[in-house]
Amino acid sequence: MHNPIDDLVERLARDMARRVSRRHFIGGVGALLFGAGTVPLLPVARGEAQPPAQGAAADPGDPRTCEYWRHCAIDGFLCSCCGGSAHSCPPGTEASAVTWLGTCHNPADGHDYIVSYNDCCGKSECGRCLCNRNEDDKPLYVPGKSNDYNWCAGSQVGIAYHCSTARIVGLAK
Amino acid sequence: MRRAVWSGSGFVLICACTATQVLAGPTAPTPRVQANYMLNCMGCHIADGSGAPGKIPSLRNTLVPLATSPAGRRFLVQVPGASQSSLSNLELAQVLGWMVRNLSARSVPPDFVDFTASEVARYRRYPLVDVRETRARLLAATADR
Repeated sequence: MHNPIDDLVERLARDMARRVSRRHFIGGVGALLFGAGTVPLLPVARGEAQPPAQGAAADPGDPRTCEYWRHCAIDGFLCSCCGGSAHSCPPGTEASAVTWLGTCHNPADGHDYIVSYNDCCGKSECGRCLCNRNEDDKPLYVPGKSNDYNWCAGSQVGIAYHCSTARIVGLAK
Repeated sequence: MRRAVWSGSGFVLICACTATQVLAGPTAPTPRVQANYMLNCMGCHIADGSGAPGKIPSLRNTLVPLATSPAGRRFLVQVPGASQSSLSNLELAQVLGWMVRNLSARSVPPDFVDFTASEVARYRRYPLVDVRETRARLLAATADR
């Protein structure tokens, strides 16, 4: 499946992404081409300024908050705050298939759902919306039930941890 | 080019499955035995048992040969992820049987015998130390059969 050129380019791109700040790079190129004073400053719609999504009736709450019901057993940065969502990784990261699972109670329908907290890997820590609720988490000496591992060790893009998703994979009775 | 087309269709398929899962969500309750697999095993072995290449060996081709020999059955119970799980002997027996029937890439022979709680209890109390060596030895032996 893997093309050596793809692998090389991916490795170089990831190395550069870890070392070089994107804002600095974009700023440098912008200043060089246009000159800082010649570009009008346009209003920019910021994701943070938008009102929080209220969610569907069956999936209540805001995935960008730690209180969101699916986050009952999470330990990490919420991907919803990092350019991804509760079920998808932000651009530039890759989901680790190896993961921690738990069950959370959905207040809308009263059912317990099986939630898979797949980590998104390949970039340094997101740093936003740290959420550490850890329901049913056990100490490291119960390895199968402890979420204090870096699950990115099981990904194919290296151990750099960025954020965590909360995907529904089953409906517990 | 063919590879690109295949990758593209795989991507679309994955997106479609993910979208369906997110929008619809599971409507039917997950059977208890499958939920036990999800909560105790799937974190590492992933949904179809294929694991992570180079890190967690796939069990899709090894479940049947192991589960059809006495020494292999003992290994499946004693392997630390199974023996040290929080599952009861009966639950572990059920999960192992479910795995053989649902995660194996090989067809399950008609004379396959399900695990029982007493069989699990018999093997589970003895710790397995040399996990990799035992696994390699057992699989080499089944390859000779």
